[in-house]
Amino acid sequence: MKRLSPTRLGIAVFAVGLLLYPLVFTNPFYLDIGVTFLLAAISASAWNIVGGYAGQISVGHSMFFGLGAYAPLLFYQLLGWPPMAGIPIGIAASVVLAIIIGMPTFRLTGHYFSMATIAVAELIRIFTGTWDFVGAAIGLQGPATARGWWDLTFRGETPYYYIFLGVLAALLFITHTIERRRFGYYLRAIKARERAARSLGVPVLQIKMQALMLSAIFTSLAGSLYAIKTGFIDPESGFGILVSVQMVIIAALGGAGTLFGPVFGALILIPLQSATNTWFGGGGSGLTYILYGGIIVLIARFEPGGLFELWHRVIAKYRSRRDAA
Amino acid sequence: MDRSWMKSAAAVAACLLLFGARPAGAADAVKIGIIWPLTGNAAAAGQASKAAAEVAADIVNNAHPELGDLPLAKTAGLPNLGGAKLELVFADHQGNPSLAQQLATRLITQDKVNVLMGAYQSSCSFTATAVAERYGVPFMVGESAALNITGRGFKWVFRGTPIASDYARTYMRFFADMKQQGKKIDSIAIVNENTDYGTSVADAIAEEAKKANIPVAIRIPYSASSTDVSAQVLQLKEKRPDVVIFISYTADSILYMKTLKNLDYKPPMIIGDDTGFSDPSFIPAVADIAQGVMNRSAWAIGKPGSVTYKINEMYKAKTGRDLDDTSARNMQSFFALADAINRAGSTDPEKIRVALTETDLKPEQLMMGYQGVKFDHTGQNILASTYLIQLHGKAYDLVWPEKAATAQLQWPMAGWAK
Amino acid sequence: MLLVQVVVGGLLLGAIYALFSSGLTLIWGMMNFINFAHGEFVMLGMYAALLVVVWLGGGPAVFGLAVALLLFFLGVAVYASLIRHVLRGPMLAQILSTFGLALLLRYTAFWIFSANFVSLPETWLSGSVDVGGIWLPIPQLIAGLLAITLTIVLHLLLTRTTVGSRLLAVSEDRTAAMLMGIRPDRMQALAWGLSASAAGIAGALMATAYPWSPSVGETFGLIAFVVVALGGFGSVPGAMYAGLIIGLIQSVSAFWLGPIYKDIVVYALFAVLLWLRPQGLMGRA
Repeated sequence: MKRLSPTRLGIAVFAVGLLLYPLVFTNPFYLDIGVTFLLAAISASAWNIVGGYAGQISVGHSMFFGLGAYAPLLFYQLLGWPPMAGIPIGIAASVVLAIIIGMPTFRLTGHYFSMATIAVAELIRIFTGTWDFVGAAIGLQGPATARGWWDLTFRGETPYYYIFLGVLAALLFITHTIERRRFGYYLRAIKARERAARSLGVPVLQIKMQALMLSAIFTSLAGSLYAIKTGFIDPESGFGILVSVQMVIIAALGGAGTLFGPVFGALILIPLQSATNTWFGGGGSGLTYILYGGIIVLIARFEPGGLFELWHRVIAKYRSRRDAA
Repeated sequence: MDRSWMKSAAAVAACLLLFGARPAGAADAVKIGIIWPLTGNAAAAGQASKAAAEVAADIVNNAHPELGDLPLAKTAGLPNLGGAKLELVFADHQGNPSLAQQLATRLITQDKVNVLMGAYQSSCSFTATAVAERYGVPFMVGESAALNITGRGFKWVFRGTPIASDYARTYMRFFADMKQQGKKIDSIAIVNENTDYGTSVADAIAEEAKKANIPVAIRIPYSASSTDVSAQVLQLKEKRPDVVIFISYTADSILYMKTLKNLDYKPPMIIGDDTGFSDPSFIPAVADIAQGVMNRSAWAIGKPGSVTYKINEMYKAKTGRDLDDTSARNMQSFFALADAINRAGSTDPEKIRVALTETDLKPEQLMMGYQGVKFDHTGQNILASTYLIQLHGKAYDLVWPEKAATAQLQWPMAGWAK
Repeated sequence: MLLVQVVVGGLLLGAIYALFSSGLTLIWGMMNFINFAHGEFVMLGMYAALLVVVWLGGGPAVFGLAVALLLFFLGVAVYASLIRHVLRGPMLAQILSTFGLALLLRYTAFWIFSANFVSLPETWLSGSVDVGGIWLPIPQLIAGLLAITLTIVLHLLLTRTTVGSRLLAVSEDRTAAMLMGIRPDRMQALAWGLSASAAGIAGALMATAYPWSPSVGETFGLIAFVVVALGGFGSVPGAMYAGLIIGLIQSVSAFWLGPIYKDIVVYALFAVLLWLRPQGLMGRA
C-alpha cells in the first residue's frame, strides 16, 4: 500500500478542516474571518499564476480586482440587475485589460514590469475617482437587503464561505492541472531563464500573455466576490495599491510559485491581521502595523523562500531522521 | 516626546488589560461599540474623536452636577437602568470598508455591544451600517459626509450631525445676509478635496448656489495629498471671486493658506468648511497669515464657567489640545445616543431604536449650537445647524448668526496684513 | 505671467523630487533593488528636522546637516541589519522586506509622534520675494536650489571621486570589484547611507513649507518610483531631469486641466514612455 506523504496528509487534513470550519466556528465574526481568508487566498493564488509561476511580479493586480468589483455593483445600480450578472462582464473587461497591458509591458523585464503595473493601476484608481458615472470618489453600493437569493446578499456568512471555498478549490485545481502540463513547464522555464527559454523555442510572449489572462480572470472574479459580499466599492478599496500589495505579500509569505504557498500565506496573514487588530486596534497606537510590518520583515530576512519552504524543510528533516533510524 | 511614549505604552497596557481580563460582573453595563479609523490616513480625526467619546462616557458615568442641563451629567450612570454605566469598545477599521463590516459583525456578535457608533469615512459608514441593519442593532453615525447614508430605507441608522446640504444652505443664508449689508458677493469659488467628504459638500454648495442665484466662478477639485497647490491658487487669482470656499483636510488647508500668502493673492473672504480648518494644527501653523478666515462650526468653547468651556477643559486635560468641531459633533451624537438608551430604560435594541426616533433634545440640553436633536423618518437629525466663526488673533470667534455672535465680523479679511 | 509662475513653482517642487529620487535610483541602479520604504525615509527626515529645530534650535543649515547625518546612519543600519541578508534572496523576498520595513517605520513614527499633523515653526526662511512680478516663496526657492545642488554633488561624488568609482565598480561587476580589492559590502552600506541621507534632506527641505503626518511617505514613495523609472534606473542625472519634468508637468497640468488630472497626466505619460523607451530617459538599455 502506498503510504501517504506528510504533505498530502497535511493537505487532506487542511481541506477537511476548511470544509468543517463553519460548523465548528458558528460565530459570524469567525466566519467572516474565514471568508476573508478564502478571498485573500483566491486573490493571492490568482496573482501567483503570473507572479509566482511565470515570475512576472505585478504590483498592480488591483486593476483586475477593481474591474471585477465594480462591474456587479455598476450593473446593479444602473439597471437593477442582480450583482452576479456583472461577474462575466468584469471578467471580460479584465481579459481585455490584460491584453492591453500585456502587449507593451511584457517586453519589459524585472522591475520595469512591476513599475508599469503600479502605474497603470494608479492611473485607473485616480481616473475612477474623478468619473461620476461609476460613483467617483463616493463609490457604489449593492442591494442593502436581498430581493431574492439571486442577489447573493445573505444575512449570515455561511453561504459566502462555501461559494468562496468552491471558487478556491476550482482555482487550485486549474493551477494544479497547468502545473503538470507543458504550459506549466514553459512558465517555469521563463521564470528561470527567459532568454534560454526563447532560444529553445518557447513562445515566451504568448505564454506570458496566457498566464496574465488566466490570472486576470480569477483576480477579477475575486474582486466580484468581494464587492458582492461587502456590498460596497470605492476607488481605494477596488484599485488601491494596498489591494495589490496584499496579494504580493500573501503569496511571497507562503511561497510564490507553489500551488499551496498563497493559501498558506493567507492562512498565516489573515488571522494575524485580525488578531492584532482585535487586541491592539482599539488602543489606536499603531501597534497592529508595527507587529505586522515586523513579522513581514523577519520572514523576508530569515525565510526568504516563504513559509511553505520551511514546511518542506521540516518534512525533509523528519524523513531523513526516520530513514536514518 | 517622552509623554507620547508613555501615553502609547499606557494605551497598549490598557488594551491588553481590557482584552485579557474583561470584568465578569459588568453584566449590567451598557456596551457601545465604536468603529473609527485609529490608524491610516484619517487616524488623527479618529484618535481625537476617540478621546472625545471617552470624555463623554466619563460625563455620563460619573456625577458632573457642574455641567448643568446636559442630559445624564448630574447623575452617575444611566438612572433609568439602575445607574448602569456605559462601557466603550473601540475598534479600528483603518479606513477599510470591508474591515469596518467585519468589525461591526465582531462588535455585535462577539463583544455583544448594545449599540454601535462610527465610522467617519462615508465608505466605512456605508458598510458598517448595513451590518447593523441586518442584525437589528441601532447605529449612530457620528460624522460622515455622504448624503445617502441616511435615506436608504434603513430602520436602525441615525445620524446626529448636520449634513452637506445643511452646510450649503447655511452659507447661502450668510451670503444673503451679507448682501443685505452691502457686501459684494457677485461670484464664489469652490475648492474641494476629491474624496467622499469634499465631493459631497462641494456638490451641495454648487446646487444651493444655483438656487440662490450666486454664480460659481470656478470649482476646483484636487487631491488632498497634493504637495503643491500653487496652480490652484493661481487659477483662483485669475478668476478673482469674492468668496472662496475651501473644503479641505489638514495638510492641504495649511498649504493653501501659506501658498495664498506666498503668491500674494488675498480674496475678500475665505470660508473654510470645518475639517482641516478646525484641526488643532491649523491655528498654530497659520494664525499669522490667515487672520479673518471664516470657518463653520457648531462648536464654540464659550466663556470660562460655561458648560462648553468645562467640557473643553476636560478634553484638554486628557489630550493637551482644544476640542475640535468634528470630535465635538461626534461627542454630541454620543450624548444623544446615551440619552435614548436611558429613555429606553432597557438594553433591548428595539426599545432603544424607538427611543431614538422619539428623541427631542432642546438647545439648552446640547453642547453644540444645534437647534435641537430630532430624527426624521430616515434617521437624519433635522434640527442640526451650524455657526460661522472667524479667526481673530489665535482663536476663532463666533460671528454669525448675529444673534449668537460674540464678536464683530471682519469683512474683507485681513489675512497677513498687520 | 501666470504661466511663468506656474512653471517656476513646478520646477522648484521638481527639484525636491529630484533629490529624494536620486537616493532611490542609486540603490536601484547599484543593487537592482527596489526600496519600497524610500518614502518613509523622506518622512523620517521631516520628523528629524522637527526634533532638531525644537531641541537644538538653530537655523536650517544646522538641521539640514544634522538630518543628513541621522538618516545616513539609519540607512547604514537598515542595510547592515536587513538588506545585506535579503540581497542574496529572491526578488520577492526583497520586495517583501521593504514593504514590511515601510510599515514598521511609518507606524513607529505614528506611535512616537501620534497621528496629528505637525509643521516646522517659522524660521527666517518664511515669506516670499517678488522678482519682476513672479512671486518666489523663500522656503521653496532655497529648498529647490539646494536640492539641485545636492543632486549634482551626488552625481559628481559618483563620477569624479575614488569612492564614487568604487561604488560604480561594485554596481557594474561585483566579482571584478572584489578582485580589485574593493569591499562590496562597505560600498553598498555607503550607498544606503547616501540614499537615506538624500531622502532625509529632501524631507527636511519639504518640511519648511509643508505640514505632514506619519502617512506622508506613501505619496513621496510613489512619486520617487515614477521619477526613477522615467529617468532610468541608476542614473542620478536621469532622476534630476525626470524630477524637474514631473514637477513641471504636475504644475502645468494642474493649472490647465485641473489638479485632479495632474497625476493622471503623469502616470499616462509614464506608461507611454515605458512603452516607447523602457530604459527611461537616461538609462542603459
